[in-house]
Amino acid sequence: MIPLLVASPLLFAFIISLLPALGKQKLSKYLFLIGAFSPWLFISSIIQKLPLGEVVGGWERISGIEVIIDSYNLPFLAAELLLFTFVAFYVYGDYYPKKSENKVYVVLLLLHAGLLGAFISRDLFNYYIYMEIASVSSFALVAISKEKGAKKAAFKYALFSLLASYIFILAIGIIYLKTGYLNLFLIKENLVFSKEINVALVLAFSSLILKIGVFPLHFWLPDAHSKADAPISALLSGLVVKAPTYGMILLILTFPISTLMQSILITTAFLSMFFGIAMALIQKNSERLLAYHTVSQMGYVLLGIGLLNPLAAAYYAMAHSLFKGGLFLSVGTIAEHYGTRDLEKLSYRHSKFLMVAIVLLSLAIGGISPFVGAFGKFMLVKEINGLLKYVFYAGGIGTLTSFIKLNYYLLKRGERVPFTFKKEMVSLSVGLLTLITGIYFYPHLQLVRDLSFIFIGFGLFYVLKKLGLFEFQLSPLFPDTVSELGREINVYMLFLGAFLLFILFNSIY
Amino acid sequence: MKMSLIVRTTTKLVSPFLVVYSTYLMMYGHLSPGGGFQAGVILAVSIILLITSHGYKKVRKTFKFWEVQLIEGVSGVFLVSLGIISLLFGGFFFNFLRGGSFGSLLSGGIVPLFNIGVALKVGAAFTFMFYILLRWVEHD
Repeated sequence: MIPLLVASPLLFAFIISLLPALGKQKLSKYLFLIGAFSPWLFISSIIQKLPLGEVVGGWERISGIEVIIDSYNLPFLAAELLLFTFVAFYVYGDYYPKKSENKVYVVLLLLHAGLLGAFISRDLFNYYIYMEIASVSSFALVAISKEKGAKKAAFKYALFSLLASYIFILAIGIIYLKTGYLNLFLIKENLVFSKEINVALVLAFSSLILKIGVFPLHFWLPDAHSKADAPISALLSGLVVKAPTYGMILLILTFPISTLMQSILITTAFLSMFFGIAMALIQKNSERLLAYHTVSQMGYVLLGIGLLNPLAAAYYAMAHSLFKGGLFLSVGTIAEHYGTRDLEKLSYRHSKFLMVAIVLLSLAIGGISPFVGAFGKFMLVKEINGLLKYVFYAGGIGTLTSFIKLNYYLLKRGERVPFTFKKEMVSLSVGLLTLITGIYFYPHLQLVRDLSFIFIGFGLFYVLKKLGLFEFQLSPLFPDTVSELGREINVYMLFLGAFLLFILFNSIY
Repeated sequence: MKMSLIVRTTTKLVSPFLVVYSTYLMMYGHLSPGGGFQAGVILAVSIILLITSHGYKKVRKTFKFWEVQLIEGVSGVFLVSLGIISLLFGGFFFNFLRGGSFGSLLSGGIVPLFNIGVALKVGAAFTFMFYILLRWVEHD
């Protein structure tokens, strides 16, 4: 039953790719909607008998591919299905022109199938293949955008993502060579820890860190996520970076992680949180601000993995998918209707629905208590104590400050533009969903703490505004031309190599 | 773009044999080394050889764009529906066709069917990719 989750979007993707040859392109948008919603049919019968596992084709575990739905991947699956449903509804209709509509629908459904397939698998190679299907589809979706520089961003994204994949498949190869299995249960049963396995783990972790885009290896992410169209950015930030996160969860569930690796992961996580916030504070481009927040928020997810707390990472990933997907959809809607992504020209004054949605989502991303972000942070902070706890809270205040900045700019009066009702409703329902899921999981109000956080956030915002930080313009490291792209990529590759060698030499002794 | 007479004649001679070899690989994939992906790549190579020697425009007249697209889509649908049909017999991609003694051609159940589907899918997809890239290179 579980493989049908993946098979149904895949089937509809193939059927839609058939339509141009048959001359029936008009049908493609209906088939897209059916394909996007079809996994819901199976989830209702699966959800009653969790945890549920099976080996595809009725083979034995040694020769088959195992798929499981349990508490570790249920948050991922729930986030995927919810956010993709909203995005499908947003894209459905006339979002893309008739000429390219068919192709976009095929690629979107492939992305859907790839993500679902990655999230249900308990087999390293199967996981890798589905993650690749998802990432290859996302390169295409970034390149489809009409924004200036989108092709360049897509190229950079493709290059680094593929490089990470090659490093990851090398790691899988080493694990297969040493244990003889790809199934994670069998690996765990037959594991004899050795130096080679340690190298494989280091390679796998550093490639996945590159793929989720946290601080030292984040360079491809802000470009790719800010140049894409609004619904595509929502999918990229909300879901595509979650597939490598799930890979890390699979690794920490299977292998013993050394304390050194753990401290590297935790340090990277904290660095990424504050770097993301600092960069987001000085951004003028609305989508780039949100993209840098993905860098920051993925730090929180990585923190859950570094603390060897996979459930916290999974639930924070779910929370992040919901609020970041919603933010990209709502802010992207405003930016598209104004025809610019410059924060100073945008305004949400003319749409009450979008205003409510953005305020709700800003509170959710800041971790204010009845929202889903607070639940994720509660799961994470349970195991931290001492000084780190205050550093963790400081990250939350920083996030709030930069979202106060976003709302401050959006609250200014702008010229009147009509918004589409459907897009407003999609944004608003994601905003309400973060509130509902937050109340469902964690109905504890922490009024004093949250109000003081918001208060400190406002104070910090005022101080930074007086200091003139928001007028500060950071000159880009590389000129924005195609001819300089090669040099840029070389420099970043050097970064990646240095990072990889640093971990490799530190963890082998 | 057209190559010399020797190259054109040789590719014309070699291509049918490549198709035969590819068919062999997809039919016997469950018994001997081979399988769907390899067969598909060889199938695509037979067309790509013709494209490099005779030029894209001439080959496109015989192997039309929409035909390649059709084969690709149909084989994709076939592969997924093979899995879904096996669900009626016990599980996703459950091997429901049994029969034939061990080592004979018919002993593989749905594996040969799967191999044929994969081969057509891979072959058509590679050809399709080549067509799209060449359409951009040759500006037509």
